[in-house]
Amino acid sequence: MVKQQYDANLLPDMLPIYYTRHFPQKIFCRWLAYGCSPQPLSNREMSFTLADDVYLRYLSISNQKELQELLQKKCPYKLDIGAVYNTKPSVGRHNAVVLARELVFDIDLTDYDEIRTCCQEAKVCEKCWLFMVIACEIIDKTLREDFGFQCILWVFSGRRGIHCWVSDYEARILDSPGRGAIASYLCLIAGGENQSKKVHLGNENLHTSIRRSLNIIDNYFEQLLQEQDFFATSEGLNAFLKLIPDETLRSQVAKKLEKLPQSSLERWTSFVSTYEAYCRENGNAMRKLKYLTEEIKIQYCYPRLDVNVTTGFNHLLKSPFSIHPKTGKVSIVFKSSNVKNFKLDEVPTINTLLDDMSTDSSVHQNNMKEAVKTFQEVVFLCEKTEAMRKRNNANTSIEF
Amino acid sequence: MNLNIKRRSTKSLTTGSLIETYPHDLQLYKIPPIDNISLQEFESLALERLNLLRCLATATTLKNLRPYSNEWREYIITELRNKGLKYYAKLCDKSACGNTEMDLQARRKDHIAHFILRLAYCRTEELRRWFIARELELFRMRFMTMNTESVDTFFKLNNLCYLNIPDEEKNNIIHYLRESTAYQNVDNMKFYKVKFYEVLDLVKLRKVYLHGGYAYIPHKDFVSVLSAQFRVHLKQSLAVACHHLGEIEQDERLVSLLKSLHQTYTGNDYTNTKAIIPIESLDSLSVKSFPLCMRQLHEQLRMAHHLKHLGRLQYGLFLKGIGVTLEDSLRFWREEFTKIMELDKFEKQYAYNIRYNYGKEGNKKNYSPYSCLKIINSPVGAQDCSGCPYRHCDVSNLKNKLQGYGFDPQTVHDIVDITKKGHFQVACSKYFDAVHNIDLGLGINHPNQYFEESQKYLKGEIKIEPKKENNSIPKESITDIHEMDLDEIVEG
Repeated sequence: MVKQQYDANLLPDMLPIYYTRHFPQKIFCRWLAYGCSPQPLSNREMSFTLADDVYLRYLSISNQKELQELLQKKCPYKLDIGAVYNTKPSVGRHNAVVLARELVFDIDLTDYDEIRTCCQEAKVCEKCWLFMVIACEIIDKTLREDFGFQCILWVFSGRRGIHCWVSDYEARILDSPGRGAIASYLCLIAGGENQSKKVHLGNENLHTSIRRSLNIIDNYFEQLLQEQDFFATSEGLNAFLKLIPDETLRSQVAKKLEKLPQSSLERWTSFVSTYEAYCRENGNAMRKLKYLTEEIKIQYCYPRLDVNVTTGFNHLLKSPFSIHPKTGKVSIVFKSSNVKNFKLDEVPTINTLLDDMSTDSSVHQNNMKEAVKTFQEVVFLCEKTEAMRKRNNANTSIEF
Repeated sequence: MNLNIKRRSTKSLTTGSLIETYPHDLQLYKIPPIDNISLQEFESLALERLNLLRCLATATTLKNLRPYSNEWREYIITELRNKGLKYYAKLCDKSACGNTEMDLQARRKDHIAHFILRLAYCRTEELRRWFIARELELFRMRFMTMNTESVDTFFKLNNLCYLNIPDEEKNNIIHYLRESTAYQNVDNMKFYKVKFYEVLDLVKLRKVYLHGGYAYIPHKDFVSVLSAQFRVHLKQSLAVACHHLGEIEQDERLVSLLKSLHQTYTGNDYTNTKAIIPIESLDSLSVKSFPLCMRQLHEQLRMAHHLKHLGRLQYGLFLKGIGVTLEDSLRFWREEFTKIMELDKFEKQYAYNIRYNYGKEGNKKNYSPYSCLKIINSPVGAQDCSGCPYRHCDVSNLKNKLQGYGFDPQTVHDIVDITKKGHFQVACSKYFDAVHNIDLGLGINHPNQYFEESQKYLKGEIKIEPKKENNSIPKESITDIHEMDLDEIVEG
């Protein structure tokens, strides 16, 4: 059987069916309401992108029925979710005050273009997906262990990245400086097009969170070196050499690496031994270059966050289970513990979901079910923690 | 959380003697003063505190000293003494519990002046932000200078009680505390547990051990908790003050002073310009009159026919500020972008943001161009060309760029040298001198100010008077204004 190609022109016919049959409307509404705290569902902003990029902002719904009606009426190509306001967003518009918003993170593979060698721009493959695996594991661990968050939702963005939604009450009501502080805590790569070395760890103790991230990176570093082959081409090698601030060491490494075969793994091992020998002989360099290998690993592997998305209190972000209009793929929810097994070509598309005869259909249908189930689990957890928080609040207020 | 603050009851301040009212140098300014003071005292207290706050700002932005470092503190104290503000210098002392008449009077002035400035600085978001930032710096500096005894007294007086974590708990995590706390001899310190959002400044810099949503801080870091609370309190108080402005301004004697006070600060924010600059001249202007940050964005745009989001904002707002009209701006960006994309895509994805910058979309706010401070401090993404070239470029890249522009080796060396020392705005000033082939030594704090100064010079409006800075910059530079203020005060 011929695999049916995705065609954006068919979206107007397919979307109404998708929204009715496959989109998890009920659980979606429960998620956005959080037991009406701090405000009812109707104060939450949603926005639709219609055909030809017509953009509708300040929409809102009060219940599942209204959602279904709105989806059928407008047939949005893309759904975005905004903040919870003090009033209905359509009424308040520019004067409304933001009261709550999930703490969100956006990681996009285009931000890895300067290091990934397999694809560029909108393209992705299984090889560069490994960057997303590392990013997801590192951010998830930090949010849970350091900040104590529990209600964490991971969503595939539909093409080349992932989103993370943190729904704990403390996270939802955190103000913009608070979000900025968390983003900075997570950000290790800084500097623009004009700076080669973008990671500086200083020479004091490494922070616990950085150590933990490095442990995660180490699980994947060799695989990444082999697959991406960062240092094989002369450009790749030059970019790498620029990361060594000490000129003597740099020229030593350059000489050694030229003689070696092109394999990045061998070149890396040789660099590490040269570096270690150099530090043994040269105490001063040892202090200055204390974390050079760590810094380089981080530059090549550590998550590259879009800080503005996290800091902004009312930034819109693509909704889970929205369709990506360019690829037809569903923005499915996945478990961070299972991100290693995430396969790009097993992501359900609107085609395969609607067409039972398609070859991928059964796998995709199944994955869609799994994604909805994962979504449900997170929503139930949100509701449970919210109920506990309210009970605790009630108890403490009785005491006084 | 183990921290507990009980509010002091709001009883009248005049009933007690000064020593009861002001037992300590450091105050949280919870209760407003209700003394009667003369208008003259009102005015001089306001101006003196303004001087104090400006002094803090100068130390950080124009002298490029690291906040809270020893040099920073020393600069401020010396300045205060020179400006005849000895009583403020005294309030920044190690021992904060003296009870001489002089101590008490200083605390009284500090208290009253703080509340006067609240009235002057509650008017706009911009002013509030500036005021809060300075007051916080002052608070922190004073707290950090105090000796342990004074700190203890301060906690007692303000009813701040808290419990340290038990030894057993500490021993379990001692390894992580050593790793993640920015102090030596962590083993001998007592540690306290607070929610992470109470010490955001430490979280931001990754200088605290976090676990399960709690931050583990030693006694010393309580300054973070306190200043965070102080910030919240001040923010709310300013909102309240703003709300009551109407009542205060019925008293005409105060209106003019309170209004002019903040105007002496603002300078120009370049939101509204009168000049009109045709886009055809941008290529030549970028060479003659643009600061390096904008020149580099302009060149990038011409070369790649695209700029990333932050670059578009930084450059787009700058263009608006120098006087490019909305229509021209749209045409300018359209011509470049459509070299690599369909017209349709440009109109849909980019034109909105350009109109937005001009206050024609979204919340219709007329945005002001970015100042140096904003550019220097905003994060630059991995593949962005925006930001401050002195702050965000590798030295070798900067060098190449400057050489490429044809500056002589000595000039290039000078600029790079200053950049290496971290004086980004001074480097920008050197660049200005090099481009115009003069020795003016301007204080640059806004790209649009750079542009205006350059245009003034090229049109012959500025006579070159090196070293006599006061005459060359009429309004924009903050230092000059308050140096003039100072002269007046000293003489008067």
